[in-house]
Amino acid sequence: MFDDTGSQTMQRVRGRAAVGFSSRADGSCRLSQLDQAGSAKAFLPSTHRAVPEVVFLNTAGGLTSGDRLEYRMTVPQGGVVTATTQTAERAYDAGGGPSAEVSVGAEVAAGGRLDWLPQETILYDGAALTRRTEIALSGDATCLLAETLVLGRAAMGETVGRLALFDSRRVLRNGIPVFADPVRLAPDVLSDDGPALLGGARALATVALVGPGAEDAAHGLRALTAPEGVRWAVSGWNGRTLIRAVAGDGFEMRRAVAQWLQHLRGGPLPRVWQG
Amino acid sequence: MRHADLLTLAQWLSPSFPVGGFAWSHGLESAIAANEVRGPDDLFAWLDGVLRHGSGRVDAVLLCAAMAPGADAVALHAEAEARAAGSERWAETLAQGGAFARTVSALGGEAVPELAMPVAVGVAARRLDLPPGLVAAQYLQAFAGNLVLASVRLIPLGQTDGQAVVARLSRVCEAVAQEAAVSRLEDVGGAAVLSDLAAMDHETKDVRLFRS
Repeated sequence: MFDDTGSQTMQRVRGRAAVGFSSRADGSCRLSQLDQAGSAKAFLPSTHRAVPEVVFLNTAGGLTSGDRLEYRMTVPQGGVVTATTQTAERAYDAGGGPSAEVSVGAEVAAGGRLDWLPQETILYDGAALTRRTEIALSGDATCLLAETLVLGRAAMGETVGRLALFDSRRVLRNGIPVFADPVRLAPDVLSDDGPALLGGARALATVALVGPGAEDAAHGLRALTAPEGVRWAVSGWNGRTLIRAVAGDGFEMRRAVAQWLQHLRGGPLPRVWQG
Repeated sequence: MRHADLLTLAQWLSPSFPVGGFAWSHGLESAIAANEVRGPDDLFAWLDGVLRHGSGRVDAVLLCAAMAPGADAVALHAEAEARAAGSERWAETLAQGGAFARTVSALGGEAVPELAMPVAVGVAARRLDLPPGLVAAQYLQAFAGNLVLASVRLIPLGQTDGQAVVARLSRVCEAVAQEAAVSRLEDVGGAAVLSDLAAMDHETKDVRLFRS
């Protein structure tokens, strides 16, 4: 508009993409709904794999102050679906303005399984992002969830000191919360080098497998080769196995998360992760 | 505020109340074994982080929510498990909450159900004429005091140095509790990742004095 440097003058992004499936007689899933509006897109690349892979995309190429983005997915009874994002999401400097708001919602019917495996979210200095991810399981449904946050662009030597992040990840079963991992990062956390907080890490990851018998996965994960440059721990109980990890940069974390996900999926990563 | 109610709360949260708090370190045992907490300053910083950005704040919010008239204590108990960093953290709050509820119920008055510790204390505290922010502040101080006692056994740390840490933390306990009293659970997030990792690591440690 009047100048081309101020992010305040950019048009705010709005986007919503919703993907739904129905069950075929042979138990496989068929795309039955695809709604897209604004800068949110969803597509299903042909993978020749038995399990459909949904790829969500924010065509605006990142998030800034006041943006609103929404992704929705439904998995039918007995269906198995993997969903991810096309690239790392970037939350840019919001210039002190209101937070970008991202909402991710999924419903998984009894006997179904959703692997929600978005690529990492890179938080630039000054980013303001509120994201709420909620996966609603019914009956004995299962989900695998992975979220990685990266603080700044390591290649640029960027240090992140100003940040307003609230990133809530919740899994409910029949309406009752079974996993909740809300992360809040603000300047007071980033400037605190205390031994209970981030310890100077630039990448944080959580992986959660939630489902009947999911606690059994902890043992196998602990037996994996320890990933280089990543501090991590595993715990499993009452239908869940959780991995939490911190690393000095996003590259090492990505490699570690890929290893855990391959193990927990018993198969390859989503195709776009391998690009 | 009734003085008798304040005495009841002090009794419930005192180290002599049989909830078995001495058995749990909340992951501090691993942090100390890994040389991340070596003296009073590290201990203060670790507890400060857990109180302001970790399980301390979550527990304070759960407690205040449980004190609200008509609160759904079972839903809050589920929320406590959903937010637990790992299996031992969950065992810690479950065992203490169960023992707390059994003891308070045995003392008379309305029975308290066996729930996660902050939820059980919040439900019990409905009978006290005390503001939730005050109950939560006392709860957090008792929580910190118990972990300082664990550290005195592990670091080693002098009793006076330990009490100095508790004294320094009183402002943190008060501030977190006041915020908790006006917070909505769905807006509460954390960043005490290394403390969570320490608690999860503890499960696989060979030599353990504590159950978490």
